[in-house]
Amino acid sequence: MRNEAHSGASIAVRDLHVAYGGTRVLHGVSIDFTPGSFTALLGSSGCGKTTLLRSLSGFVPVESGSIIVGGQDVAALPPEKRGMAMVFQSYALWPHMSVLQNIGYGLKLRGVPKAQIAAKVAAMLSMLGLAGYEDRKVTALSGGQRQRVALGRALAIDPGILLLDEPLSNLDAKIRMVMRHEIRAIQQRLGLTAIHVTHDREEAMTMADRLVIMQAGTIAQVGTPEEVYDRPASAFVANFMGAENILPLRVARSEAGASLTTGDATAHLAPGSGQALPAGEAVAYFRDDVARLDASDAAAGADLLVPARIAARAYPGGVYRYRVEAAGCQITVDDADRHELGTTIGLRIPLQRLHIFPASEAGIAA
Amino acid sequence: MNLSQRHLGLILIAPGLMLVAALFLYPLGFSLVSAFSKDGSFTLEWFSKAFELYSTDIVFTVVIVVASCALTALAAIIIAGTLTLGENRYIVGTLRALYRWPLFIPFIVAAQCMRTFLAKNGLMNNTFVSMGLIEPLQAVSFLDWRGIIATFVWKQTPFVALLLAGALASIDRATLEAGRNLGASRVRVLFELALPQVMPTLMVALVLSFVTMLSVLSVPMMVSGSQPTMLTVDMAFRINAYGDYATANALGVITYLISAGAAILYLKRGLSEGAAR
Repeated sequence: MRNEAHSGASIAVRDLHVAYGGTRVLHGVSIDFTPGSFTALLGSSGCGKTTLLRSLSGFVPVESGSIIVGGQDVAALPPEKRGMAMVFQSYALWPHMSVLQNIGYGLKLRGVPKAQIAAKVAAMLSMLGLAGYEDRKVTALSGGQRQRVALGRALAIDPGILLLDEPLSNLDAKIRMVMRHEIRAIQQRLGLTAIHVTHDREEAMTMADRLVIMQAGTIAQVGTPEEVYDRPASAFVANFMGAENILPLRVARSEAGASLTTGDATAHLAPGSGQALPAGEAVAYFRDDVARLDASDAAAGADLLVPARIAARAYPGGVYRYRVEAAGCQITVDDADRHELGTTIGLRIPLQRLHIFPASEAGIAA
Repeated sequence: MNLSQRHLGLILIAPGLMLVAALFLYPLGFSLVSAFSKDGSFTLEWFSKAFELYSTDIVFTVVIVVASCALTALAAIIIAGTLTLGENRYIVGTLRALYRWPLFIPFIVAAQCMRTFLAKNGLMNNTFVSMGLIEPLQAVSFLDWRGIIATFVWKQTPFVALLLAGALASIDRATLEAGRNLGASRVRVLFELALPQVMPTLMVALVLSFVTMLSVLSVPMMVSGSQPTMLTVDMAFRINAYGDYATANALGVITYLISAGAAILYLKRGLSEGAAR
């Protein structure tokens, strides 16, 4: 096991089209993966994230487009010629082989002598915290141990690219946390280019240094976790990243700045700050935790204060979670104070925490 | 469970049990007694007669059946492997549609087909001649041990391939993809990663085929009339020509021991695998 970082390979995907039996799944995806980066492909079921990963690894035939790895187009190559190592959701260990044989298989295929395989596997196992497990049957290991062996099997061949296909979704919550950090640490230490498919937002945010949000076979947004979370590019991304409260708005722009109106509430933006907003009918998205409850007659200040009525209350711990009716919509909001059902209150939302998109876009997010 | 319920259970299974006893256990016991006795006393005379007259046929039978099993396994692995790992969907689709057909053809019909196909002036040689591959004078008949093996393999391959393809379809596909991902060709994936996972199924299918082939009378009788031949033909001959049930029963016991040998090999393998897990 070499401990020094060996550089990962770069991948350039250009105008990739993929179809399954006539159904188009990827519609011209183009994206670059820089050497040593950790990218998470994130999206809901059926968005094409797994298909993109499987077309990179060669298990899904590409209809058109190119996949350039280190200057060579590999789109037409079979999986065994691509030099990418993959970790599978089901671990995909071979039950008839020991841990040593599983991890050493890729090296055996490359004609590495037995003694060297044993040494490399031993080093790999000690890195993964499984020292001395060589002769165990993989069927006798726990889920977390199996996924470590699967990771070791992928890393043993010193791949430039590591593909992770929801590798943590079969593990229980506690082990998943540990494995997140382990995979990230190993990727950074070895300098691998890693691509991680997941539908778990938190997992993607904590592990990756770049997120790719996919929607219906196209890329909806690419950016750092902060960019995607704080500045979603579309209503879909805002909604997917957890801004699930929806409030219809009317945006009016004037010389004196812009004004936002919803129901009976209006907020004014200082001149110059509302230029990016779409004029006319719009929809605002915001997260549960950015809004607060206030007295209905409190001063709005720089916030949007919408009159609302409390419809339901729950106590998940720490704060109360309310469902309120405001401007004809059902809004979920967290607040520290206890309010009675049916009370009329003011829903206070800081303007800069609203993600506002034209109403025409809103249907896509649903 | 009280006594009356236990009696009720026995009554319920009694018809089936009686059928087994009347049609299998009684004839088996009768054959065993007949093979080991003469005028009411124990003897090995029938066995010594069987070995004296038919030892070549015993070896011939074992060789034919073992060779047929090996070739059946090879053909079934190729078919099931293509169905599982094949990437050309036209080849896979055609193979999937065709490979089961011999399952529905009885041995006797298969034997008749092989007679017209493998004879000296049969379909195969005629085709070779018309294609210019061989001269008419070079044509030879394959209606001997090669014909028996060809018929057995043709008839049993679909059965083994069916079980094998089913087992291969049920293993986690990711385990095969993981192999290719690490650089293994499809042939290596089949032999090193897929087949070891379905070995018990392959062994069951082969043991069942072994026993089936041992018991077929029509194929050796129709495809290869000459000596040496298989034990089923010898048994029929002892009974039909001489009314010699005792020697026929001794040959039956020998056949039974051969098939028991295959079953024991299979069970031992299963036990050692079970212990290792």
